[in-house]
Amino acid sequence: MSDTVTLELRTPLDGPLDASEIAADRFAALDEREIAALRVWHGARAAQLGEFFAVTGGRAARVVVTGSTRHVDHLGERMAGGDLIIEGDAGRGLAARMSGGAVEVHGSVGDDAGAALAGGSLRVHGSAGDRLGAAAAGASKGMTGGEIVVTGAAGAEVAARARRGLVVCGSAGERAARSIIAGSVIVLGDMAGAPGVGGKRGTVVAVGVVEVPATYNYACTYRPPHVRLTMTYLRRRYGVAIDDRVAGGLYRRYCGDADDVGKGEILQWVAE
Amino acid sequence: MEVRGVAIVDTFAEAFTMRAARVVITAKNARWAREAAIKLTGFATSVIACKVEAAIEQELGPELTPDGRPGVSALLFTMGADDLAKRLVERIGQTVLTCPTANCFDGLPAAPTRLPAGRALRVFGDKFQISKVVGGDRYWRIPVMEGECLLAESFGLQKAVGGGNFLILAEDADSALVAAEAAVEAIAGTPGVILPFPGGIVRSGSKVGARSYKSMIASTNDAYCPTLRPLTASELPDGVNSVLEIVLDGLDAASISAAMRAGISAACRPGVRAITAGNYGGKLGPHHFHLRAIMAPDGAGLTAAARPDAAGGTAA
Repeated sequence: MSDTVTLELRTPLDGPLDASEIAADRFAALDEREIAALRVWHGARAAQLGEFFAVTGGRAARVVVTGSTRHVDHLGERMAGGDLIIEGDAGRGLAARMSGGAVEVHGSVGDDAGAALAGGSLRVHGSAGDRLGAAAAGASKGMTGGEIVVTGAAGAEVAARARRGLVVCGSAGERAARSIIAGSVIVLGDMAGAPGVGGKRGTVVAVGVVEVPATYNYACTYRPPHVRLTMTYLRRRYGVAIDDRVAGGLYRRYCGDADDVGKGEILQWVAE
Repeated sequence: MEVRGVAIVDTFAEAFTMRAARVVITAKNARWAREAAIKLTGFATSVIACKVEAAIEQELGPELTPDGRPGVSALLFTMGADDLAKRLVERIGQTVLTCPTANCFDGLPAAPTRLPAGRALRVFGDKFQISKVVGGDRYWRIPVMEGECLLAESFGLQKAVGGGNFLILAEDADSALVAAEAAVEAIAGTPGVILPFPGGIVRSGSKVGARSYKSMIASTNDAYCPTLRPLTASELPDGVNSVLEIVLDGLDAASISAAMRAGISAACRPGVRAITAGNYGGKLGPHHFHLRAIMAPDGAGLTAAARPDAAGGTAA
């Protein structure tokens, strides 16, 4: 018995590998042989995990994945506990529907990372694709809890339809927080167009350039105490580099979306 | 036993099990955090008449507060959980919510019993309030004329100890005050301990009930009033002309023992004849702080100082 299970990709993949069985909480009950026998899908072909990964260790809720894993999809999907560490990149659907535990990725991740996240934390040191923390296709709600922190850029529709939770990224593509129901999105850099459109409640914090939709109405310029609290937490918990001028700074508050419930807000940092 | 020529009476302080909460107030600067904390803990010397005992515990640097601003922690003690819940709502609502730039956080986040003071106070926002979850804890953003006030949704409650005490028996009032001030200074800032009386000092120690007034819950401790020496069963040795008391409430018995040791040691100075303590014969409070054990030279008696005794007390 070891305290860590290590999965080392044997050779680079020539197509997507669906590895949704790789989740730290599930490995806690499996030995090395059982882990290697887990089912994965390489394209339309069913295979065993051990065909693609060299497995070391078993019965541990700390899992380290190494190798060129950019095409490995659905890592940590539905994970409920434990620690999953990915030394490189990850493919689509990383930590989708996760309800607990921690996933840390030292590289970048594909689309739909943290989709419909319900709990736990997802930390990405690189960038993320589209629909980070957003709702699954056709679903009415996106994230319902948990935290996602991406150092680099995120694609379109960050936290779309989020109900709860916190998403942080270095920059965001179009339609961030689209139809957000509640929760918080913090973008430490620039945002592309149409943030918060269709939002009912929820908070969008924009530190960089943001084009506030016409359906958001200016309220005041002030120092939001919850922004300072959240940013202090992010610095301490995740080591996110946030300047004091940003954490405790002045923000222009816009209320919206006036086309919907209108209880949401966009907080635009004002450099002093 | 003597400490620097001051007699340590072979007796014990009798203390009670209480319920405590720790409130952390932050503000734009230390001044405004203190302003809120002073009001929060005002008129809170004794549960007998104030319904709560409270005081500032310590000042906190920005690195120790949840929002990275200067802060102050305060401890509040009551006899029951229901009382504490009410007092938190009243006091946070009237003193932190009203204070410029102040926010209010829970200082006992690991306590499983929660008092939802912030949740109760959220309705001041008249449905304009907004909740936020940060790090797994819920907070309420309450819109106010200044901007927003941020309150933790709930505050931890834990069992605690109230009524630790010692009496400084001095040759004159000036010596008693100087010794008491030294004791307070030595205790100040001890984590988990507060001194709820003015400047940490009590001049009007009390006994249970009254000799002449049946309705009185407490009345003057005539046995330690120097002006009554020939009129009552005085406990004062010859040469003692003034007595001051230090009352301590703490989150646990060990904290009180350590604070009493520091305070008594500081109080043993010229002009002080003896250090004693108040008790009720061990019949009322389960926590007994034996002075000579607390003041044992090697400190070995600190943990045993709150031991049960023959009167039926339980270990603190």
